[in-house]
Amino acid sequence: MPMKVDIISEWTGEIGEVTIGATKKEGGSRCAAIVIGGGSGFPFLGGSAPGRKPLIAFEFCDDPKLWSPIVTEFEGDVVNDAGAWAARAEERHRPDLLRFYLTSTRRRGFQEFSQVGRSVEEVLERSTLPLIVEGSIDPAIDSETFLRCGEAGEGERLLLGTAEEGRYRSVAAAAMAYGHSVIAQSPIDVNLAKQLNILLRETGVPHDRIVIDPYTGALGYGFEYSYSAMERIRYAALKGDEDLAMPMISSAIDSLNIKEVREADPGQRGEMAVKWELYTAVSSAIAGASVVCVRHPDTIVPLRSAIDSLWGKTGGGD
Amino acid sequence: MALKALDIYKLLPKKNCKECGEPTCLTFAMKLAAGKADIEKCPYLDEEASRILGASTKPPIQRVKIGVGERSFAVGDEFVQFRHEKTFNHQPGILVAVSDLWPDDRIQDVVREVRDGVLVRIGTDLRLDGIAIRCESGSAEEFSRAVAAVEAKADLPEVLMAADPGVMEAGLSVCGAFRPLIYAATDENYQGMCALAGKFGCPLTIRAESLESLAKLSALAAKEGAPALLIDPSATTLSDYIKKATAIRQNAVSKTVPDLGYPIFFDTTVTGMQDAALALGVDKYASVLVCDRLSIPSRNALLTLRQNIYTDPQKPIQMNPGIYRVGEPVRDSPVFLSVNFSLTYFTLQGYLEASGVPCYMLVVDTEGYSVLTAVAGGKLNETLVAESIKKTGLESEVDHRTLIIPGYAAPLSGKIEDESGWKVLVGPRDAAGVAEFLEKEWKK
Ligand code: B12
Ligand code: SF4
Repeated sequence: MPMKVDIISEWTGEIGEVTIGATKKEGGSRCAAIVIGGGSGFPFLGGSAPGRKPLIAFEFCDDPKLWSPIVTEFEGDVVNDAGAWAARAEERHRPDLLRFYLTSTRRRGFQEFSQVGRSVEEVLERSTLPLIVEGSIDPAIDSETFLRCGEAGEGERLLLGTAEEGRYRSVAAAAMAYGHSVIAQSPIDVNLAKQLNILLRETGVPHDRIVIDPYTGALGYGFEYSYSAMERIRYAALKGDEDLAMPMISSAIDSLNIKEVREADPGQRGEMAVKWELYTAVSSAIAGASVVCVRHPDTIVPLRSAIDSLWGKTGGGD
Repeated sequence: MALKALDIYKLLPKKNCKECGEPTCLTFAMKLAAGKADIEKCPYLDEEASRILGASTKPPIQRVKIGVGERSFAVGDEFVQFRHEKTFNHQPGILVAVSDLWPDDRIQDVVREVRDGVLVRIGTDLRLDGIAIRCESGSAEEFSRAVAAVEAKADLPEVLMAADPGVMEAGLSVCGAFRPLIYAATDENYQGMCALAGKFGCPLTIRAESLESLAKLSALAAKEGAPALLIDPSATTLSDYIKKATAIRQNAVSKTVPDLGYPIFFDTTVTGMQDAALALGVDKYASVLVCDRLSIPSRNALLTLRQNIYTDPQKPIQMNPGIYRVGEPVRDSPVFLSVNFSLTYFTLQGYLEASGVPCYMLVVDTEGYSVLTAVAGGKLNETLVAESIKKTGLESEVDHRTLIIPGYAAPLSGKIEDESGWKVLVGPRDAAGVAEFLEKEWKK
């Protein structure tokens, strides 16, 4: 008869750690400095160095016209004031992190850069959770936008996004100048993820200030590729590839715009949005993401129970 | 350890008689090595060869069929731990639980929902698979009544859930001929349950808390003559499940503990968080999932996740390139250019149908990549479009020379015009906008 049957673990590599947020003592104003990543096992399998429990980030923005109406209708007027939205999200929705998208910059010919800094400051004033800031997506205004974000968050150890292969210097420069970390996004491919990390390192961004975003396609619209890309990235790191040994963030930003959700029966649309996010986020955490992002406030409670149950009591160091 | 094709070939009769359905013994050996053929197809193997080959070419996880008829399904037959290593073969069956404490009409509401509920995605009908009938009354009579209530409404695969072999037999006497899954044999009752499995020829689930006891019990059950097995590691939390299921899968595919080489059964109702447990079961190795009645949003997300995870990562689901018709188009009907990724095709086709305007779709071969992906990767380009117009004979189908291209392909519009000689109209990015687009742009 078999002796003890156990998980076969042949990993030696270690996932790096990244700290997001700085407390008063550290020169910031956040309620905590959160460390993500770490450990040398696959998520949820226990072992001697299991890494940390995945965290939940709530995504919101400063121009709700570019947000899903499912969320803006659910949230009401508060979406017109980013600071108030941040405060409310922190107090009522209770995520671990906030992720603030500067959607206002996504207008043609955007030039109001001082507003960028003010918005970030306001969000920081009205909330205490560690903050992720998403700047522009247009190379023409990247440099100025990221500079303002970085400056406004100086000392707060933000996580700044998003660097991509063709446009990473502005984000990297702002992060380096003001002490923040960077999200490195590549389109669903292990080698592209690795290549971008190397590029970032060459511009001076250290290992412990990079978070990999392997791009998460929506459920039914490419999620299968993203799921496997995440597993492959995590395993490559555990097998010793240091250029992939950063924690990962997963955000299926298209989820609320896909046909199945958008065109759901009006009475069920909210629940459809929540389930779509929940199934995606749970699966992303299982595939190895350290931070999972959601937009519908109602996704947070069931997602947190799921992650707690996955983690279990024996999960290891919190 | 798996044998290589040549090692297998050495053991074959080398008659090249084709009775196995392969042209030569060597091709049969190659199929066997890849796990794509059944050793029993060759009638001329000697005993020694069957023994060696039977053990080494058998999939590391037994294949088990549940139910009969159209909705029956097979599970197991898996070879890898991660889908990116090759692919997952058999998606888990999802069975919705009913209780024998319920009146017939409540049971039958659920049965009807499972029988008729369908989500159509990428041209495929996605459905839940069957009914799990749970004995909560402790009474053989009530249990067989509940089974009969299910049977009266549908020919769906079933799991019979009862701890007492006497009660189980009462259920089996109603539906035993339809290959229901018996749940569950434990340390206490396995002899009785195995006897039933043998008698009715049904697959049997064995349940134990530790993997060691599961392995021990599965060996005993096989010895007792149970024809096909599933194993339930009785997890009550997601953490417990993921650890045990991962260990089972690893030890099975590596053939370290062959007695764990059976599909996994996961009753998600005991976890208190059904959606998350179902997602976990789909991602990590469950072959039969039992759940309580699902809302439409839960069901749709679940079926979509299952479709995603069980898609072969090596080949996106593709359409044949060519001309497709929506409605009954005529010589001045509009022509839409699109790509041969199935998801793209069916999404666009759905909206075109809804617009009510008969039209043509010119589907070009982008190797199964979506519009945006194909544009970014250079797979969709003007040469391909021009050649496709020629090859498909589109120019003899319609009198006009105007091609509507996807909004995401806008950067190619000038080049397509130059290369093909057709006039290009840039359509909306999102296919949801085609009806409005046709209204405004085409009617002119
Ligand atoms: C899954 C995915 C992949 C999969 C492939 C999936 C596939 N079979 O195509 C993989 C991982 C292989 C992949 C690879 C790449 N990808 Co990719 N991928 C995606 C992802 C997440 C989803 C694609 C998808 O399934 N869309 C759904 C289908 C239905 O959309 P669609 O085909 O565009 O169809 C819609 C419309 O176009 C319209 N439509 C379709 N036909 C027609 C016709 C007409 C006339 C009209 C009017 C409308 C219309 O209807 C549909 C519904 O609205 C997208 C992100 C996204 N949100 O799109 C990135 C994305 C498309 N990929 C991207 C990139 C860069 C790549 C790569 C080039 C990366 C690389 N360097 O290797 C490669 C290219 C592949 C190659 N080597 O050639 C980028 C493109 C960036 C850009 N804007 O140019 C995206 C946007 C991700 C990102 N933000 O970085 N990718
Ligand atoms: S049936 Fe057997 S002997 Fe005949 S060709 Fe196939 S493998 Fe060879």
